[in-house]
Amino acid sequence: MAFQLLLNFIIAVVWMFMSSSMTATTFIIGYLIGFLLIFLTRRFFKQRLYTGRLWAALKLTLLFFKELTLSNISVLLLVIRPKLNIQPRIFAMLTELETDWEVTLLSSLITLTPGTIVVHVSDDQRTLYIHAIDAEDAEEAIESIKNTFEKAIREVSRT
Amino acid sequence: MKTNDVILQTTTKVVFFIIFLFSIHIFFAGHFAPGGGFVGGLLTTGALLLLLLAFDLKTVQKALPFNFIIVIGIGLLLSLGTAAGSIFFNVPFFTHAFDHFTLPLFGETELHTAMIFDAGVYLVVVGSALTMIQTIGGDA
Repeated sequence: MAFQLLLNFIIAVVWMFMSSSMTATTFIIGYLIGFLLIFLTRRFFKQRLYTGRLWAALKLTLLFFKELTLSNISVLLLVIRPKLNIQPRIFAMLTELETDWEVTLLSSLITLTPGTIVVHVSDDQRTLYIHAIDAEDAEEAIESIKNTFEKAIREVSRT
Repeated sequence: MKTNDVILQTTTKVVFFIIFLFSIHIFFAGHFAPGGGFVGGLLTTGALLLLLLAFDLKTVQKALPFNFIIVIGIGLLLSLGTAAGSIFFNVPFFTHAFDHFTLPLFGETELHTAMIFDAGVYLVVVGSALTMIQTIGGDA
């Protein structure tokens, strides 16, 4: 990903030098030509084309905004309930993500969607302990949400 | 019992650069906008303090092997040198000079010797704050 992006930038800069005009327009043209070349030689790279990762990151962002809106509405409905018959609990969730970066991103996404807070990460980074505000019937639903987030993050970090 | 600080440390690795960049911006903005050497120095100290909180003292001292007492000295020398430089031009002590220059890449820029004085203030603030923190925090 990073190598392909850097290569694309270098091709664009070389294009600027070749056409000896240092403007943004020339850079963009060179960048597009570089992307075309990288697309043609995509079989020679060990990793997939970097646009796949950018697309996955964009999808993750959109998914996050969607979840944020929906869960805020659900917490609002909890707050204006006349009787507070909720069932808060802390449960453990096994995760298959490995690197620090992925675990941090997943924890931040879980915490930022209201109703669930990550309270602890186990030492081997395999288990997240999550506090849910109302987990009586929602535990499976929450697990499915986590699976969507985790799947989206895995999609981003897939080589 | 060592807890797993993975979230704090990973976030610090990103946020540190943002705070540091903002401190540099505030330092350079000090002439015509709010900011300056003192605030910039404190913000830099804040960024380094975040590193000290997320990692431990020994790691940060290995990564930034500065003796901060010497940093204070350099800062004081810069400020005093800027103030004393006016003596050579037969003007009163602490007279600043400024002019407009056309620099490559920056275009029309106003350069002012108060900038160097501010850099001295910046270094003194960073050095003294971090000397205090490391002296209190470390059990050397």
